Amino acid sequence: MRFRFQRKYLCIPYFLFLILFVIIPIFFIVYYAFTDGTGNFSFDSVVEFFTTTNKINVLVQSLLFSTLNTIICLIIGYPIAYILSNKKLNSNYVIVLLFVMPMWINFVLRTGATRDVLTWLGINGGTSPYVATMIGLVYNYLPFVILPLYTTMLKLDKSQIEAAIDLGCNRVQVFTKSIIPQSIPGVVAAAQMVFMPTMSSYVIPETLSEGKIVLFGNSIYLGFANNQWNSSSFMAVIMLIIIGISMLITRNFTEKDEGKEETRW
Amino acid sequence: MVKKVLAYSYVYLILLLMYVPILVLILFSFTNATYIGTWNGFSFDLYVSLFESEEIMVAIGNTLIIAVISAVCSTILGTLGAVGGHYLKKKSRAALENINQIPVVNAEIVMALSLVVMFVFIGNMIFGGQNLFSFWTLLAGHIVISAPFVYLNVKPKLQQMDPSLYEAALDLGCAPRQALYKVVFPEILPGIFSGFMLAITLSLDDFIVTAFTRGSGLLSGANNIETISTLVQAKIKKGPIPPEMRALTTIIFIIVLLVVIGISIYRNKGTRYKSALRKRMRERMD
Amino acid sequence: MKNNYIIDLKNVSKIFDDDTIAVDNFNLYVRKGEFITFLGPSGCGKSTTLRMIAGFEFPSKGEILLNGKDISNLPPNKRPINMVFQRYALFPHLDVYDNIAFGLRLKRIPVLKKDKDGNPVLKVDHKKIRELKREYSLIKRNRHLEEEVKKAKLEDLEEKINKLKTTPTQSYSYVKLSNKEIDQKVAKALKIVDLEALEDRDISTLSGGQQQRVAIARAIVNEPEILLLDEPLGALDLKMRKDMQLELKEMHQKLGITFIYVTHDQEEALTMSDTIVVMKDGVIQQIGTPKMIYDEPKNAFVADFIGESNIYNGTMIGTKKVRFLDYNFVCLDDYPLNEKVDVVVRPEDVHFVKEEKAMIKGTIVNKIFKGMNYQYTIMIGKNELMVKSTSSYEVNSLAYLSIDPDGIHIMKKDFATNVYTDAWINKNNEVMIDDRPFACNVEQLVSGGHLDEEGNVVSKDGKHKYNFNDADVVAEIPLDKIDVIDDIESEDCEVVGEIVDSIYVGDHYRYIVRTENEEDFVFVSPYTYNLNDKVGLQVKKEDIKLRLKKEVNAYEI
Repeated sequence: MRFRFQRKYLCIPYFLFLILFVIIPIFFIVYYAFTDGTGNFSFDSVVEFFTTTNKINVLVQSLLFSTLNTIICLIIGYPIAYILSNKKLNSNYVIVLLFVMPMWINFVLRTGATRDVLTWLGINGGTSPYVATMIGLVYNYLPFVILPLYTTMLKLDKSQIEAAIDLGCNRVQVFTKSIIPQSIPGVVAAAQMVFMPTMSSYVIPETLSEGKIVLFGNSIYLGFANNQWNSSSFMAVIMLIIIGISMLITRNFTEKDEGKEETRW
Repeated sequence: MVKKVLAYSYVYLILLLMYVPILVLILFSFTNATYIGTWNGFSFDLYVSLFESEEIMVAIGNTLIIAVISAVCSTILGTLGAVGGHYLKKKSRAALENINQIPVVNAEIVMALSLVVMFVFIGNMIFGGQNLFSFWTLLAGHIVISAPFVYLNVKPKLQQMDPSLYEAALDLGCAPRQALYKVVFPEILPGIFSGFMLAITLSLDDFIVTAFTRGSGLLSGANNIETISTLVQAKIKKGPIPPEMRALTTIIFIIVLLVVIGISIYRNKGTRYKSALRKRMRERMD
Repeated sequence: MKNNYIIDLKNVSKIFDDDTIAVDNFNLYVRKGEFITFLGPSGCGKSTTLRMIAGFEFPSKGEILLNGKDISNLPPNKRPINMVFQRYALFPHLDVYDNIAFGLRLKRIPVLKKDKDGNPVLKVDHKKIRELKREYSLIKRNRHLEEEVKKAKLEDLEEKINKLKTTPTQSYSYVKLSNKEIDQKVAKALKIVDLEALEDRDISTLSGGQQQRVAIARAIVNEPEILLLDEPLGALDLKMRKDMQLELKEMHQKLGITFIYVTHDQEEALTMSDTIVVMKDGVIQQIGTPKMIYDEPKNAFVADFIGESNIYNGTMIGTKKVRFLDYNFVCLDDYPLNEKVDVVVRPEDVHFVKEEKAMIKGTIVNKIFKGMNYQYTIMIGKNELMVKSTSSYEVNSLAYLSIDPDGIHIMKKDFATNVYTDAWINKNNEVMIDDRPFACNVEQLVSGGHLDEEGNVVSKDGKHKYNFNDADVVAEIPLDKIDVIDDIESEDCEVVGEIVDSIYVGDHYRYIVRTENEEDFVFVSPYTYNLNDKVGLQVKKEDIKLRLKKEVNAYEI
């Protein structure tokens, strides 16, 4: 039979690429997580992880930092997105662009600059590692929060807000009963942009705390640097599980959103 | 009115804070001092030593080469994937999209480690303990992190496209491949372009995947490939940002600024330019 | 005679992958230069048929002949047919000129190859051979083709290929149209659609009507043998649509191209076409001139779909005599005595007359001014009659009316009763229709029989016993014996389905309910349901009539 060109065949190279460099490597991670150095099946990494208080601490500390960073970014970013989404689109678009622009400067350079400036100001990784790391994290992830919030708020249904006012809501009630519920998808997207990347970040805590604070990302990195494939693979598996869980949680929100879209059509 | 002023002063305050580190670097790029905070008089010394530093020039070269090659590969792969995926049946498309989503949501460090682990395994098992890490593994890593974003940029353009455009092209005499090239491709070009730009940005900015998957080669010769990210990371581990890097930051900032201004001007005048161009082409044709 | 047919669809069916039958055994020929319209509600298969003619879909069965040549499996770019798409499908990245020139730039004109002395070069035509081989493989792979037809076709092709291989023929080189030629053709097309000044405009700057014109120009510039138009005026506003209708008609006369037009707008079809093909559920309901279709609708669906009409249940009471609305009328159609029929009366065929000349009388209950005339609703007993008249009468006054014999159109009833030929009896003595059990009286299968405790039917004299488990039967349910249950969750529902069709017949509606398994139940009801409403149906035990397919003896025990 003659080969006949069909448009869908175009995706074959990409599909193969994804299988080879995304799917198979993940199987390797799982394989390494549950074997020992000689390639035999073993739970050594599992046991090591859950018995070493150090590693559990790293996990707890990472979760704390991620949560805190997400909350702070949302608190700072939400009002900015709200203010910018109000009225004249064009002039404010420039400000949004200004918020995003630092992201185009090399990330490691920016992190180094933050540290040097903080050191200059006396907030130094050696003396106050927690504060310095937190500032570095917020500084880096704030644009990631503003952008999705801004795009969601641009789409806010203005007539719904007017309806709320018409039905007797005062300003606070309009905000809590109409604006916040409408912007939930944006908040979820923003949180997604911050939470997981913070957990797995390496450069920021490493640089700003001058190596004093070890987050999950650093921990994996150290394992990699010392050729401890098995234990860092197991940590990566834990990371994958946490990502999976957070996906499941956020999916509920996005699915509801999609449902809304459908009824609108 | 007061409320508005308050609101905007909040926005501008945060914006200012966002720029503090960069502005400080730019300011101190014009003085020859090891640490920021000390001012040794105005000079362009740092710019001179930036271009004299072979180490930094090699890193810049590597970074640019990798960014361009990986972005081109990502754009080709991601675009083909999106176009093909668009015409898949619902179930297969969902499968492709779910896999495409993995690198997007997955932690970069996990992606990087998984690649490393695979390369180590293959090196040990198939190539008898040979070290596979090279420019090629690095390239694969960079494509993995950027191609899914090209896919995601092209996909909406395909969805917005009127499906009968392709059929109209066939109807007017195009063979299927011609129709893709003549009609579908121009339609999704803006998506391809923004995907390409994003791929470049992701590659330029990347540290983790580079640090994990790099080997020797490119402009670094027999040593591990250094990019700006890895070079700066190695330096700031031991001390402050190398003074020349302040000059580099200034240059990058100016380039970014020019690009941003250029894009917004193009957006406003783009249509006018296009029609003028077409007219000229028509004249040449006649 | 045959040469007159530019396109000929023979037994064409289209079955999609999910087993939906979009087009069912479609037979149609179109004469050269004709303006033919496929008319029907959405989902009736009209667009699918058009797409098969264009080449975007291939028929599952049957063949499409263009000038007598089978083009069923030819891709769209190889057909001398062009299409105007529903939403125009103009290329947004090209301007008006480039859109129109698109097809011309792809065109290649064959030019006879000649050697130095000017004699034609003779060569084996490999290109043609390749083409035929391709066709060969397409036919070979066509699963829907009958085995014998396939074999004959393949042999025919093989012969042709072999002949070509051995005999050198004149060969051609294919050249592009020159820019000058393209320019001239585009200018001509722009003139036809009245857009001369707009050739440099971007598509996005054009109004809907202008885009429409560009789409037409882009198609006709290629000088196709057939122009297909898929609801091209659907996106325009009413005024614009009316203007475009006339313009298209004019264009058709000027160009002399065959137009095949698809629409769901009956008025559009009536104004523009030479021939109308009315379709429903993938099946042709009627083919005819607009006048024929309006005046002589073949069935209640066509009558209801084309124009406004009053539809009633009638009974033949003599030669060319029919009774409906509780009056007797003389008509022109002849049907057997006592046959139940559908009667269609167009509102403009009912006349107000003086009392002494009246055939029927009723009370005016509603009056609407329609610009040209008044539209009255008149109650004749418990039936409604819609009448159009230019004179004004008061609401609530008595109306005296007459209908001329040629204003009464009589049609065979679509559905006298629901008949299910593949029903069977299960072990509980219920009849299975559409894989659902319905309580029924199996005793009726044996005259005078009755059920015993074991579920067997005993004959009148008690000598014979029958067990009807698994018996194949034909079940009949009269239309008026099906009860509707609005609550589809209710246990009383014997079957649940969706309303897929409704026709108002005087004092009640006739609905068709389709179940998940695509079985139809037709019922009548005075109440209003909407299309796609989900309803439950219930039938009383005694209302299901059963008939055995085999002899009753086969079930004796």
